[in-house]
Amino acid sequence: MLSFIVADSLFGPFFRKYFYYYDSYPVVIQIAVFLTAVAISATIIAYLSIIFRRGKGYLTDVRTRKINTFIDNLITDNIIFNEEILAGVPPQDVKLDLEPFQKQVFSQGWVKQALVDRLIYFANSFSGDRNLLFKRLFVELELEKLSFNKLKSFNNSTKILGLVELTSMSVAVADVLILPLTNSRNRKLRSEARIAYIKLSKNDPFKFFDDATEPLLLWDQLELFKIITTTEGLTIPNFARWITYSTNKSIVSFCLKLVVHYNQHAAIPSIVKLLDNKDHYLRVEAIKCLGKLKADDIEEKLIAIYNNQPLNCQIEILKAIGRFSTGKQIQFLRGEFIRTSDFDIKKNAARSLINHGRAAKDIVQNLIDTATADGAIILKHCMNPLIKY
Amino acid sequence: MKYGVYIELFGEFYEGTVFIYGTTLLLIYAFLAIMSLVAVRKFKVLDSRVDYTLLLNSIHTPGISVIAPAYNETITILENVHSLLNLNYPKYEVIIVNDGSTDDSLEKMIAEFDLIEVDFAYNERLKTKPVKRIFRSTNLAYSKLVVVDKINGKSKADASNAGINVSSFDYFLCTDVDSILDRDAIMKLIKPIMEETDKRLIAIGATLRMANSCVVDQGFMQKVVMPKQLLPRFQEIEYIRSFVMGKMGWSTINSVPNVSGGLGLFDREIVINSGGYDPNSFGEDMELVIRMMVYCVNYNIDYSIRYIPLTLCWTEGPSTLRVYGRQRSRWARGLAQLMYAHRKVIFNPRYGKLGLIVMPYNFVFELLAPIVEALGIIYYIIIIILDAVNWPYAILLLVFVYSYAIMISTLSILWDQLTYHTYKTWREILLLCFTAMFEMIIYHPLIVFFSLKGYFNFLANRKHSWGNMQRQGFGQAAQTRAITASN
Amino acid sequence: MPTNNIAAKKILLIDDDELILKVMNRILTKEGYNVIAVNNGKDALEKIEAEKYDMVITDLMMPYSNGFEIISKFKQHPNALNVPIIVISSVGTESAIKEGLNIGADDYIRKPIMPDELLIRIKRLIKE
Repeated sequence: MLSFIVADSLFGPFFRKYFYYYDSYPVVIQIAVFLTAVAISATIIAYLSIIFRRGKGYLTDVRTRKINTFIDNLITDNIIFNEEILAGVPPQDVKLDLEPFQKQVFSQGWVKQALVDRLIYFANSFSGDRNLLFKRLFVELELEKLSFNKLKSFNNSTKILGLVELTSMSVAVADVLILPLTNSRNRKLRSEARIAYIKLSKNDPFKFFDDATEPLLLWDQLELFKIITTTEGLTIPNFARWITYSTNKSIVSFCLKLVVHYNQHAAIPSIVKLLDNKDHYLRVEAIKCLGKLKADDIEEKLIAIYNNQPLNCQIEILKAIGRFSTGKQIQFLRGEFIRTSDFDIKKNAARSLINHGRAAKDIVQNLIDTATADGAIILKHCMNPLIKY
Repeated sequence: MKYGVYIELFGEFYEGTVFIYGTTLLLIYAFLAIMSLVAVRKFKVLDSRVDYTLLLNSIHTPGISVIAPAYNETITILENVHSLLNLNYPKYEVIIVNDGSTDDSLEKMIAEFDLIEVDFAYNERLKTKPVKRIFRSTNLAYSKLVVVDKINGKSKADASNAGINVSSFDYFLCTDVDSILDRDAIMKLIKPIMEETDKRLIAIGATLRMANSCVVDQGFMQKVVMPKQLLPRFQEIEYIRSFVMGKMGWSTINSVPNVSGGLGLFDREIVINSGGYDPNSFGEDMELVIRMMVYCVNYNIDYSIRYIPLTLCWTEGPSTLRVYGRQRSRWARGLAQLMYAHRKVIFNPRYGKLGLIVMPYNFVFELLAPIVEALGIIYYIIIIILDAVNWPYAILLLVFVYSYAIMISTLSILWDQLTYHTYKTWREILLLCFTAMFEMIIYHPLIVFFSLKGYFNFLANRKHSWGNMQRQGFGQAAQTRAITASN
Repeated sequence: MPTNNIAAKKILLIDDDELILKVMNRILTKEGYNVIAVNNGKDALEKIEAEKYDMVITDLMMPYSNGFEIISKFKQHPNALNVPIIVISSVGTESAIKEGLNIGADDYIRKPIMPDELLIRIKRLIKE
């Protein structure tokens, strides 16, 4: 009690004088007091949400781990060790026992979602007959309804998740559902929709190649390439069509990669036309593609345009000649190696000479003996099997 | 009382300026906090469903050169090289630049990895101290490894440049040999490059943290533990704030000022064309990034620099005041050097965001901040002596600034927790938040002091430092690491 | 179907993917193999030191030591004599497959795995 009186007599006047008259403070101080209150509450909320998230995260982790082990065992027992599959029944004729997957636990939303996630994980880990069974299980348990519901969401991220689930499990989706999404303003959604369209659409799956205006990003190309080259039953068109007519450079360059993969020699004339394209990055792609296709009848033409090309195209031409290895241009390569002072040209000329193997062996040896120290070391560099690049 | 008039005049001017200064800074922080939250949440949702194995199966996956300079790291070098050789990525090379070590680290590597000297066509596009030998492994299991032996260049910059000259891919990842990388680091960093729409992504970084108390086994992160010592713990908070909130926030408006030397993926062509790392700089990582941006503006390259809110690298932070002070003075000196060298860019509209956002922000709120604060303290001391303080207002303002600072730090920790549960126990996070409350009175004065020391060094040695450089913290960092690793 | 002549065959299975490790372990055990499963390169190397196996099946990208390193260290070890090695990996490019076979793997199987295919390849390589 005494201490209270002492404290009051010490601090009381001070507080009464200044702090009690909030209204009389200058505006700046009023704002400061207000924002202090905001900052302190924000900090407290942040604390609480850290603790809350942590606790929730911990519980979810424990729960998910438990349910995942349960689901994994269920899938392993019923699908991996499916007796009919082991007995040699074709996967489309196997009668799936759905009962274990329709137990009470699976009525909960999050358990259902966990089942979807694990099925996708299994499908990504195991191919062949089992893979088909995972996908059949997904459909027969009507889990695709969950994914279709996600497609209807207003949230783009949720839509993307739905699409990814459907594509992973190869569920057929009506064109009317996907096509509008292939033109979505959300980049990620657009690209996932295209992947889904190629994989899941029954009609002309390469349709969007015709009217895609914005660039096809490298990452999307990676995904599309995988889908195109691994989807069974996809009719592969002649990609020359887009190489000739598409105004979208990234579509053209993507088609060049596909042409190489499918070894479409029929596309060579349309690729040769690209050599006159104004964009030198695209010319590089075209020359690279011709080299990989071993289209050695255009070797003469490449040599003819060589001198008018920028450095990156010249390097690509040298590489292509190495890939052709016809033996007709050994003197050209040797000449370039001696003439140039550019490191990269010299290195690529040397590498292409060495790629000729026995046909250029004497010339290479002769060059090592007569070239400058720098030149000789470039040749040795390219000949050394320990150095890859 | 003639002085009183001057002080009063100065006081009015100072209070006015500081008011605007402080308000702007608070607004910027609020902006960064909101922007980074949006970006972090978006990243988290989308990243959870990304199939990174696409990169493993494609022949179109871009190749990456991992460059790690090493100076006298004999104790940990083998473990760390092993861990660099074990990243999850199908197409990469590891370039270890032995920067004239005086210990046996090179001999150890030769024996462990079956290295032999090769005739390597070395293209010195960036001028460095001479490269003596280049080694490759005869063991196929280590075919990714390239070891460069060069004459000591007294800086990490010089060694990194030699590594860049040797590298064969279009992108290189720059790190320290004693940093511990997440095994997915390359995959996570290359993805944004492959997703950039119409700009050229010239550099990308991710969050760095303190490795001080973490459990590391044979160069692999086994368990992330919050630093037990106070100084590294303060640095952990500072790093989280500066990466997760600062750089992530700036990334949303393409105004990232710096990609840390501990971990960054760079566009090799742009780096070489802009001249590589500057061995004379005291803050070579930021200096390079600024110079790359200047280069891009000059050559009309529509560039971008990005950040991803994942912790992909752990590094040993200084744990003694002496080492810490040296590091911070060096950084401050580097910043002063950088601002002086590129002074024409500051507030120059020709340089777009670089000239109007990145450089002005770093000049006004990074470079000048310690000076403004120091002046403020002096001013307060004077008016206290003159008994001209309006105590209640002063206290209210102080409480406000203090609570705001704590809020920003706490929010950064929360944002960081959104992406990934870094620590194993909730106690660690609460302790971290608790430590954040004392940052302003214990840790912050240190920064101010060492920064001012750095500026002083800059002013005192400006001419001198151009030609003749002291060994930078690179060797210092190596030492601290060696000491802790042997415990 | 499990037969007596493979009953005692011991296989070291190395993969950091817990699901594949778990499922393959069950499949191989059901086939009558004695499976020792580890999920990282460090444990793998310890196991190799400790005893002799009839076959090693390894993933490529793992903590501590990658598959190439394990194979190359294993090949130098006396326990490795005539022990077949199969690589299972999600890296599926031609250059990686070539590298794996060059280092000394006897077979290279791409993920996702076809369990039956893997079993046939194992049976072919483990001979009496």
